[in-house]
Amino acid sequence: MEIEGERLISAEEIDRHEAAGIEALRAASREPIPDPDAWLSTEIKRNLLFTTVDYAINWARTSSLWTLIAFTACCTFEFIGTSSSRFDIARFGMEVVRASPRQADLLICGGTLTWKMAPQIKRLYDQMAEPKWVVAMGACAISGGIFRDSYAVVPGYNRLVPVDVYIPGCPPRPEALLAGIEQLRKKIRKESITQRR
Amino acid sequence: MLADYGYIALFLLVSLAFAGLMISLPVLLRRLRIVPHKPSAVKSSTVECGLETIGHSWVRFNPRYYFIAIVAVALDALVIFILPWAMDLKNLGAFALVAAAVFVAIVGVGYLYAWRKGVLQWK
Amino acid sequence: MTTELSISDTAARLKAHFGEGVAPAGDGLATSPELLPRVAGYLRDTAGFDFDFLDMMAAVDYADRFELVYRLLSLKHNHTLTLRVNCDKNKAVVPSLAGLWQGADLQEREIYDLFGISFNGHPNLKRIVLWEGFEGHPLRKDFKDGAYGAGD
Repeated sequence: MEIEGERLISAEEIDRHEAAGIEALRAASREPIPDPDAWLSTEIKRNLLFTTVDYAINWARTSSLWTLIAFTACCTFEFIGTSSSRFDIARFGMEVVRASPRQADLLICGGTLTWKMAPQIKRLYDQMAEPKWVVAMGACAISGGIFRDSYAVVPGYNRLVPVDVYIPGCPPRPEALLAGIEQLRKKIRKESITQRR
Repeated sequence: MLADYGYIALFLLVSLAFAGLMISLPVLLRRLRIVPHKPSAVKSSTVECGLETIGHSWVRFNPRYYFIAIVAVALDALVIFILPWAMDLKNLGAFALVAAAVFVAIVGVGYLYAWRKGVLQWK
Repeated sequence: MTTELSISDTAARLKAHFGEGVAPAGDGLATSPELLPRVAGYLRDTAGFDFDFLDMMAAVDYADRFELVYRLLSLKHNHTLTLRVNCDKNKAVVPSLAGLWQGADLQEREIYDLFGISFNGHPNLKRIVLWEGFEGHPLRKDFKDGAYGAGD
């Protein structure tokens, strides 16, 4: 059926398309993606000029990490608790959470990831603009957690996206999340514009 | 005479330079590899909370919005002219009052027509 | 407070219409899959019962059978009743109640998706929580697949 040149898409087509996407992702994610930290141990030859520029750029990036709103389960509430006044993530410039991946630079993987949601999270990560970092928060994000044996759960976000920092806990306390964020910021401070990102 | 416009010339130059800088600076930073630049097909695609979009993003809008906007623009134009007239009302005299009344009447006829046609009702 | 109808009274009333097809079973009434649509229709339409709302449907995987549990609620009289239906594991087919209560539509699809119990007469019996093409019915006790399908 044609409407003004637009093809009317049926529910069955949408279901089949979704199923194809999930099966493709399942087949492609048998191995975890290696963590992007190979450059941490190598000695970076730094020019004096670059050091100042690096320092400035890294200072700007660590002081305003904007999180993408893409949380899946219970760890979200610990993030919400961390953003509220008692633990105050705004101290680190992170009170801004953005719905659009173009405006966000941090993906906090809060909660269990199911296969049905996996294509969406992968697509959101792909749509985020560089520079971007990923923090796996909680047991389910690290390895699937207590649901690892389930037919429906992805055994860890690192099957889909490269993870920078892993924060254990179920859920991690706000202090643990803040410690993980600080680890991420330490990692970012070691970056340099000379490395290919 | 021309020298009086010196400040404006300076203002013009600064604003042109600023606009030029804002446009060229990201390109420069990209070329110098100070900022990352990795375009891809997925990254440039429309964001729909992680889903793939189906069909066009250009949807049809309700024409009621257009009618209300037209009426608003007409009354806006009226206000723009009425405001300076109102500022100096005392000195302008009776002729200005009559002229303003004619102007208001002209715009008012259009507004009344739109009103009676039911444009302001949201059905 | 919502009242639970007395099982013995209800069973006695239904015996008049359905004979031995309806019997008390634990906290509710048990009936056979063949009689289910008539019993459910009777419970919905008879004055005094007026079960116009299907509160919940659930399925249970026992060793030798599947059991479907229906919780009925009357909004008019504020009383509830439980119906239980047993069906064979190898040939798990039960008549659909989607024509009687619209709430049964999606709940039967979910039970089909997760247990594999088919519902005769359902308007659109396909998977609802899992994706199309998923193999197996996960909430059965003999389902053992892991995150990557069989053999994981």
